Amino acid sequence: MALILLKNIYKIYNVGGEEVRALDGVNLEIKDNEYLAIMGPSGSGKSTLMNMVGCLDTPTSGIYEFEGEMVQVMDDSQLASIRNRKIGFVFQTFNLLPKATAQHNVEIPLIYANIRKDKRKEMASEALSSVGLSDRSHHRPNELSGGQRQRVAIARALVNNPSIILADEPTGNLDSKSGEEIMKILDDLHNRGNTIILVTHEDDIAQHANRIIRLLDGKIIEDLYIEKNDSFIC
Amino acid sequence: MILLFVENFKISLSAVFANKTRSILTALGIIIGILSVTLMGTLISGLDKSFESSMSWLGKDILYVSRYEWFSDMEWWEVRNRPRMLPEYVNKIKEKSQYALAVAPVMQRGASLSFEDKSTRTEIFGTNEEYMETISTNIATGRFFTKNEDRSGSRVTVIGEGIREAFFGDKDPVGKYIKIDDIKFRVIGVLEKQGKFLGLFSVDKQAILPFGAYKRIFSKRGWMRLSVKVPDDKLEDGLDEIISVMRHIRGLKPNEKNDFAINQTKAFEKQYKALKIAIGGTGIFITLLSLVVGGIGIMNIMFVSVKERTREIGVRKAIGATKGMIMGQFLMEAVTICLFAGSVGILLAYIFSFFINKFFPSELPIFLSLVAMFMSIVVGVISGFIPSYRASKLDPIDSLRYE
Repeated sequence: MALILLKNIYKIYNVGGEEVRALDGVNLEIKDNEYLAIMGPSGSGKSTLMNMVGCLDTPTSGIYEFEGEMVQVMDDSQLASIRNRKIGFVFQTFNLLPKATAQHNVEIPLIYANIRKDKRKEMASEALSSVGLSDRSHHRPNELSGGQRQRVAIARALVNNPSIILADEPTGNLDSKSGEEIMKILDDLHNRGNTIILVTHEDDIAQHANRIIRLLDGKIIEDLYIEKNDSFIC
Repeated sequence: MILLFVENFKISLSAVFANKTRSILTALGIIIGILSVTLMGTLISGLDKSFESSMSWLGKDILYVSRYEWFSDMEWWEVRNRPRMLPEYVNKIKEKSQYALAVAPVMQRGASLSFEDKSTRTEIFGTNEEYMETISTNIATGRFFTKNEDRSGSRVTVIGEGIREAFFGDKDPVGKYIKIDDIKFRVIGVLEKQGKFLGLFSVDKQAILPFGAYKRIFSKRGWMRLSVKVPDDKLEDGLDEIISVMRHIRGLKPNEKNDFAINQTKAFEKQYKALKIAIGGTGIFITLLSLVVGGIGIMNIMFVSVKERTREIGVRKAIGATKGMIMGQFLMEAVTICLFAGSVGILLAYIFSFFINKFFPSELPIFLSLVAMFMSIVVGVISGFIPSYRASKLDPIDSLRYE
């Protein structure tokens, strides 16, 4: 069964009396444990598509099914609940809360999921150690390097065992070495069975995925599956 | 739910502490508001208390028969020709009235008291042996004078606690002689401490003399009133009866107006209530205005806080916060500032009322501090509502892009 199914999705904005089609009839099916990269120039609609898939936005028309549930008819709290339990976001600018420790940042989704404190601590520690940051759990974001911050953000995205991880230019603000580390973590997550959607405009980052979608003017112009040999992954 | 509540409280604490100066300045408005509201309430409740105790000193069941009304809008020429009260009215009232339980004539004047090398000026009262029944105070030590002592003009006196303290200190005053305007009187008893009447003047500095001796030595005529005690379940009947008894004594025809006044604590109560509504009403209104100003300050700073944290709101929404959760977080922040400010305001009110109490009766009741606490929460909710609502409505995508 498809994890995500987009059927004939349109997103139309009205900017100064002019119609802007951010998504213009997108059809897309994403299966469990796919590693998908969405590519395209700026203004191609890739951010809109990602927001749509991440349930931050609803389509003007079309059908969006997430694990068989109709997303386009959901109200605010249902969308929030899906985002909380099923989706993990990783942003280009990390978007950690500056005053909270790494540990607490990772705990926030669990608080919204109403999980008990001891259980919460345990899950957050586990997520932090899976990105190799156990020893940094009580540091605040400004005491961490960019790569470490992004790893905290990944831990936050992972902590609720979501169905998909949505990474929007996860290496955009990092040096190449830190970027490689982050990509390695995402690769590992994929190998462990997670579904990952990556938005990027860098070809070598997109090469980590096993399926690449190219967007232009709100339309999918290319949908490419990449065959990989095992040595590349290792 | 509780989890989220605790979490929101923690968030708001950290937000409040992160901007200490701003929080304190914002809180100041509420602190002043709560302080003035509670102080106002404190003063009114202090006034109430002292009024109550002063009224109980006067006694609800006592009718004060006298030449003039305590509070009257009559012109002076209407009352100035009224006849004086006379000592013989005491027996006439006793004869004709069935409700009068005790009748005491009371004459009053200033006099100087002295004992050994100490002296003071005070009020002296001339009355009969039934006087004790018309006041609510008891004898602390010794005894009151008897009917015989009154009739025979014995030079004995019952002094107030204030005089005892000033003249005798730790010594027993009973049996000692004090001089009242250079005439020797033997102290036979001391009244209990009573405190201040309406917080204005002390009633403990007084000396009570038998009517016989008072008349002979100090004044045959002079101003006089009668205190008549009636059963407290028959106040209205007693009042009607005493009016008709007095009219009979004065020989008034049915079409003539009363040429005397019968005062009751009710008259005080009426005056007091009007005063209380005037002072309390305007006072509370003005102080509430200051609380409103404080609330506007909170609203203002909450708008700033929401604006500053737009991105945080976006992140929180992206990772699963609902509108309600965001709203709760910012409401909690406003309430936290107000609760903090409210506590400080109440604390200051306690300290202030402690000092004011030295000059004027004031006491901060627990009930009032609870009301003030509740009020600060309400102010927090009201002034935080619109900013929080706006925060909850923010679009997560736009918020995440906000710089």
